[in-house]
Amino acid sequence: MGKLTIGTFSSLVGSLSLDFSVKLAEAAVKKGHKVDFWMSGNATMLAKKGQKAFKDYSFLAKPIQELIATGNFQICACEACAEARGYHKEDCPDGFIRKSMDWYLASTFDADRVLHIGGD
Amino acid sequence: MKLAVLMSDYRNGIDMIDRLSAESLGIILVGNGVYHAAVKEGGKTSSLLDKKANFYALTEDFETRGITAANLDSRVKAVNYGDVVDIIFNDYEKVVWI
Repeated sequence: MGKLTIGTFSSLVGSLSLDFSVKLAEAAVKKGHKVDFWMSGNATMLAKKGQKAFKDYSFLAKPIQELIATGNFQICACEACAEARGYHKEDCPDGFIRKSMDWYLASTFDADRVLHIGGD
Repeated sequence: MKLAVLMSDYRNGIDMIDRLSAESLGIILVGNGVYHAAVKEGGKTSSLLDKKANFYALTEDFETRGITAANLDSRVKAVNYGDVVDIIFNDYEKVVWI
């Protein structure tokens, strides 16, 4: 099995690319791979506690917690991007990491595959 | 190099594909990119399908848009998320998102 690093900049709810990357991560973990999931820009909105689920609305908080529970999935928000948007350490959901982009870079260096998904 | 391209848009990006050079190219249609697999304009299929590549379309995304597997162009293979993981890991070396 291998390691997939996914970096995404897409908005929560506003862009389906973030949903795609979470579903791809789910499929990869299910196949026995490890996944590192990096969020920059508007994707850091996913690293915000207290998101609410609405019918027919994208709600990624739950699948993310299930992925974290597998132990084969790490999720990290860009600290600068989050702070720039007013999200502080205490706003971060359980199991999320907050680092500078060095974390993403290091993750890509020992990944078997890297998928970078740009802005919205 | 064997390159997989996740094509997520219908209107933009085909010119980018022309600028990519790969020994083997796989184009995985996701999001609005799935329209390349089924939509005809002026009676013609998408020019993307004329590229020398293997074509795949994500079932969840085309079915969400009311397209069925029977509507897909014969050059395009329907895949699910698990297949996409296998394609990325086993059939290609690098993967990019357009």
